[in-house]
Amino acid sequence: MNEIQDRLDRYFAAVFSDLPEAQIRSASVESEKGWDSVASATLITAIEEGFDFDTAAELTPYSAIAPALQS
Amino acid sequence: MSVRVVGHRDATYRLHGSLNQCQYTVTSATFVSGSGPDLCAIIGSEATTGMKLVEALEVLRNSPPAESPLLEIQLACGFTPLHLQTFLGAHLRRLFPKHRVSITTGAFGDLTGNLERLSQLEGGTVVAVVEWKDLDPRLGIRILGGWKPSQLNEFAETVHAHAERLLAAIEILAGKNIVALALPTLPIPPVAFTPGWCMSQLEGELLGSRANLSSRLSNLSGVRIASQQKLDVVSPIADRFDAKAELNTGFPYSLVHADKLSELLASIVNNPQPKKGLITDLDNTFWFGILGEVSPEGVSWDLDHHTLRHGLYQQLLASLAESGVLIGIASKNDPALVEEAFRQRQPVLEQEQIFPIVANWGPKSESVRRIIEAWNIGTDSVVFVDDSPLELAEVQAAHPGIECILFPKDDDKAAYELLFQLRDKFGKTAVTAEDGLRLESLRASAAIAMAGRGEGYTPERFLQEAGGKLAVSFVRNPPDPRALELINKTNQFNLNGKRHTEASWQKYLANPNAFLMVAAYEDKFGPLGKIAVMAGRAEDGTVAIDHWVMSCRAFSRRIEHGCIQKVFAKFGVREASFDYVKTERNQPVLDFFRELKKTEVSSLSKQELDANCPAVYLEIQER
Repeated sequence: MNEIQDRLDRYFAAVFSDLPEAQIRSASVESEKGWDSVASATLITAIEEGFDFDTAAELTPYSAIAPALQS
Repeated sequence: MSVRVVGHRDATYRLHGSLNQCQYTVTSATFVSGSGPDLCAIIGSEATTGMKLVEALEVLRNSPPAESPLLEIQLACGFTPLHLQTFLGAHLRRLFPKHRVSITTGAFGDLTGNLERLSQLEGGTVVAVVEWKDLDPRLGIRILGGWKPSQLNEFAETVHAHAERLLAAIEILAGKNIVALALPTLPIPPVAFTPGWCMSQLEGELLGSRANLSSRLSNLSGVRIASQQKLDVVSPIADRFDAKAELNTGFPYSLVHADKLSELLASIVNNPQPKKGLITDLDNTFWFGILGEVSPEGVSWDLDHHTLRHGLYQQLLASLAESGVLIGIASKNDPALVEEAFRQRQPVLEQEQIFPIVANWGPKSESVRRIIEAWNIGTDSVVFVDDSPLELAEVQAAHPGIECILFPKDDDKAAYELLFQLRDKFGKTAVTAEDGLRLESLRASAAIAMAGRGEGYTPERFLQEAGGKLAVSFVRNPPDPRALELINKTNQFNLNGKRHTEASWQKYLANPNAFLMVAAYEDKFGPLGKIAVMAGRAEDGTVAIDHWVMSCRAFSRRIEHGCIQKVFAKFGVREASFDYVKTERNQPVLDFFRELKKTEVSSLSKQELDANCPAVYLEIQER
C-alpha cells in the first residue's frame, strides 16, 4: 500500500502544484480549490497512464483512489 | 537503431454528470504495448522515448525564476487543448531551459476565429493545430450532422470554404509572427459509404485539400508546417485518436499522439541552428574499397558493385554542400592517389565542393584539427563520419565537441537511415545567398593565408591591395533573416553570446529607437556576403550596442573597425556603450577592444576610436 501511495503522491503533486506535501493524502475536491474539471481530467488521465489497473474505482478523493489502485 | 516502444492505453471511463462535478468512474482498463514501425528508425533516427503526462506536468512545475525571459505562445486549436497544452509546454521548457513558458489558448470549437482574433499580434509565436472537424464539424464525432451519401458532396464544399478562411487568417499572421502549424493529423471518421480498404472520393478530396493547404501555406514567410511524414513515423496514425477522451472531454488525441505532435511543434518553434560542417572519411565511407589497395579504378559507389549506398551518401553530401554546409575530407591515404581518384572517377560530390581534402598517414584527429582550423568554426558545429569505430574514438577523444557518427559500410538499410539523420542535423528552413558563398570565401581566406607566407608580403599591403568593399544596410523592417541567423550562430566575434527566438527578435526591433546594421563584404578575392550584424539603440546622443557579431570568415580584414566607424558616423555620436559579456569563445571581441587600447569593453568614445583605430582600407557604402 505504501508503495502505491508513494507513487500516487507523485501524481497529485504533479497535478496540484500548490498542494503542500503534507496535505496530499487528505486531498479531495472539497479541500483542494485547484481541483477543477481540467485538473480532474488531467489527474485521471495521468493515473490511467501511469498505473496498470482494471478495477472500477471512484477517483475522488485521494483516500478512495489509493485502495482502488492497491486492489 | 533505436526502438521506440509505444504504450497505448485502451481504457474506458465514464463521466457522471459534468466535468465540473469531478466524478469519474473507471469501468475498465487494459494496457497494450507494442513496438513502433521499423520506419521509426528511418525518419527520426533519434526518436525519443515518449514523455508521460506526469513527467510533462513535473517539467512544468519546475519553472525558472520570475525574472527569466518569457516565451509566450498562442495556442490555437478547435478542441479542448488539455494535454496538448501540457505536453507542448513541457517540450518547450526542455528546449528553452532558461525561459518561462506561457501558453494562451482561445475559444473551444473555433480554430479559425481564434486565429482571426490574433490578427493584431506582432512578433508573436502562434502554434496552430488544425483537425478535420475544424474544416467541417461533421468530420468530428461530437456532432450528429449526418453522414448520408446524399450529403457527401457538401463536405468538400464546406471543407474548401473553411480552408480558404483558415488560409486567409494565417496569411494575416504570417510575416509578422512565427506560425508553427499542424494540418489534420487524425484519421477521417467513417463518413463515406466505401469500405475502409478503399479510398472514397471524399477521402481523396480531403487529402487534396490538406495538400493544397500545405503547398500554399508553406510558401508564406514565417509559416512552418509539421512534417506529416515525420509524424507518421513517431506517431502511427492508428494510435492517434482517442474516441473516449474526445466524447468525454472534447480532447481527441491519445497521450502518445499529444506528446509526439507537441514535440514536433516545439522543435519548429525552437528552430535549432544546424551543424555547419561535415568531415568524412574516404575508404569504405565516401566510396567502397580501400583506395591504396584497389587503385582509383577499384573504388565504387554504384548498383553494379552493390555499393550504391556510398553513392547515395555522396549525393546527400552534394546537396548539403550546395545548401552551404562545409564538407571536408580526412583520410589516411596517399594524397596524390586521392587527387587521381577524384580526377578519374568524378564522384557525385565534386572535388570543388570539398574544402579542404586532408589525406596523409597521420592520426585522423590531426587531420580533423587542420580542417576545423581552415573552417574556423567551433567543434560543436562539426560532424565526423567514418566507418572505423577506432578512428571515431580517436577523433572523439581529441575533439570532444565533435559529433562522431559511424558509417554502416555493410548495411544498406542503416546507411539509408544515416541520410535522414544527417539531413536532420544539417537541415535548415531556407537556403540563403550566403550559403552559396561560404565555401568560396573560405578558399579565399586560405589563399590569403598562403599569400601571407610569400616574400615581401605584409598584412598591411594585403589589406591595401584587397579592394575591400563594405555595403551596410540599416533597414530593420522587415528584418533581414540573415541578421538573426548570424546572431544565433556566431560564437567567436560575438559581443555577448546572447541569442534570440524569432519572436523576441521581432519584439526587440519593434523598439522605435532600435537600429539594425547588416554589413556585406567583398574584395578582389570574391564576395563574402552578409557577414556582420550590429543591433542596438540610438538614444540621447549615444548608441547602446546590444548585439555585435561577425562571421569568422570575415576576420583579418578590419571589417569590425569599418562597422564601428560607420555606426559613429551614421548616428553622429561621441560615445558608444556595449553590452559585453565574456563567453567561452568570444576572445576576438576582447582582442578588438585591446587593439583600440581599451582595457574594458563597456564603452568606446569617438576620440578613442579615432586615436587608436588602425587604417581601414574599406570602401564603405550605405544601401
